[in-house]
Amino acid sequence: MAQQERIQQEIAFSTPLVSNKVNISFLNKEYTDDDNVYQRKIQDLGSKYGHVRTTRRDGNCFYRAFGYSQLEALMDNPKELQRFKAVAAKSKNDLVALGFPEFTIEDFHSTFMDLIEMVERQISEAELLAAFNEQNTSDYVVVYLRLLTSGYLQKESAFFEHFVEGGRTVKEFCSQEVEPMAKESDHIHIIALAQALNISIRVEYMDRGDCGGVNQHDFPEGSSPGVFLLYRPGHYDILYKL
Amino acid sequence: MLCGATMASMQKRLQKELLALQRDPPPGMKVDEKSIQASLTQWIVDMEGASGTLYEGERFQLLFKFSSRYPFDSPEVVFIGDNIPVHPHVYSNGHICLSILTEDWSPALSVQSVCLSIVSMLSSCKDKKRPPDNALYVRTCDKNPKKTKWWYHDDNC
Repeated sequence: MAQQERIQQEIAFSTPLVSNKVNISFLNKEYTDDDNVYQRKIQDLGSKYGHVRTTRRDGNCFYRAFGYSQLEALMDNPKELQRFKAVAAKSKNDLVALGFPEFTIEDFHSTFMDLIEMVERQISEAELLAAFNEQNTSDYVVVYLRLLTSGYLQKESAFFEHFVEGGRTVKEFCSQEVEPMAKESDHIHIIALAQALNISIRVEYMDRGDCGGVNQHDFPEGSSPGVFLLYRPGHYDILYKL
Repeated sequence: MLCGATMASMQKRLQKELLALQRDPPPGMKVDEKSIQASLTQWIVDMEGASGTLYEGERFQLLFKFSSRYPFDSPEVVFIGDNIPVHPHVYSNGHICLSILTEDWSPALSVQSVCLSIVSMLSSCKDKKRPPDNALYVRTCDKNPKKTKWWYHDDNC
């Protein structure tokens, strides 16, 4: 346990929560030159995306990557920003109606709304990035996105119970795999969050499978995505279209 | 390293939790106001065994400790005092095996939800006994139960 904590701390201090935007060729350096499977897939990725932002590998990467990327995309889309803001504003009452205690969730909700309002006031990309790299603010957003995910899964539990593994109820799954910090995300979490906020996310899957290129998946299926994420086993980063 | 913003948000949150607990305490529970320091980092909660359960008529005390990373870090919660409930998930040194105190902790949980889980853990008990590994555990464990690598079996007794 102590060793695990130490390793986590080392990771924490060595990488930013959300990095600067770097050229997609940055990914090449993370694999050896003779790692043909990954080098070929990065080449495929490079035909569609020009840049990447990495996120800290702390188990919260999906929520942090999504949160940053979604708010950044809203910077130059005022109409969508207003729609998103209205959905976000209303979401707290939906969670309270589902039984979440208002006095704990309101702090997370208000931090999330503060960030949306910062985007509305046309802050710079650097300011948004700084906010996402301030541990407290950033983690408050992560918690709120986790709660939205949990709330949607519970609201639609009749549907999602078929996808929950280990003989658990949707509620048990949420309290073990969604609401605690550092628990990683899978398809079910992404579907729920995308639907909770009525937005669309494309994930490019890049793993060791020997199938040539990367596999993409849109959540929900058939939607037109505004947020693009790169998945490598156990981790999500942010992608930017060419 | 203690960041000012973190400390401020931790105290703001604990202040709110304290008010909620005073206003709307779980049945049979009462926060001991004398036990609370100005920094709010340590509280004692008095509890009574619920009527109709194996613990009816007994009184217990829970000690809560909060780190500066609360509510991201779970609170450290132990039974203290002369009467430690005899329960398959409570060790004789007061440590409690309850998943929301470590692995399944979420920042949206609260002192109140921990209290409710502990009440429900005690209330569902059908056989008052110590955990099977009690003797070894209390001899070898760290003082802080959060340093224990718990192995959660089930939530029932």
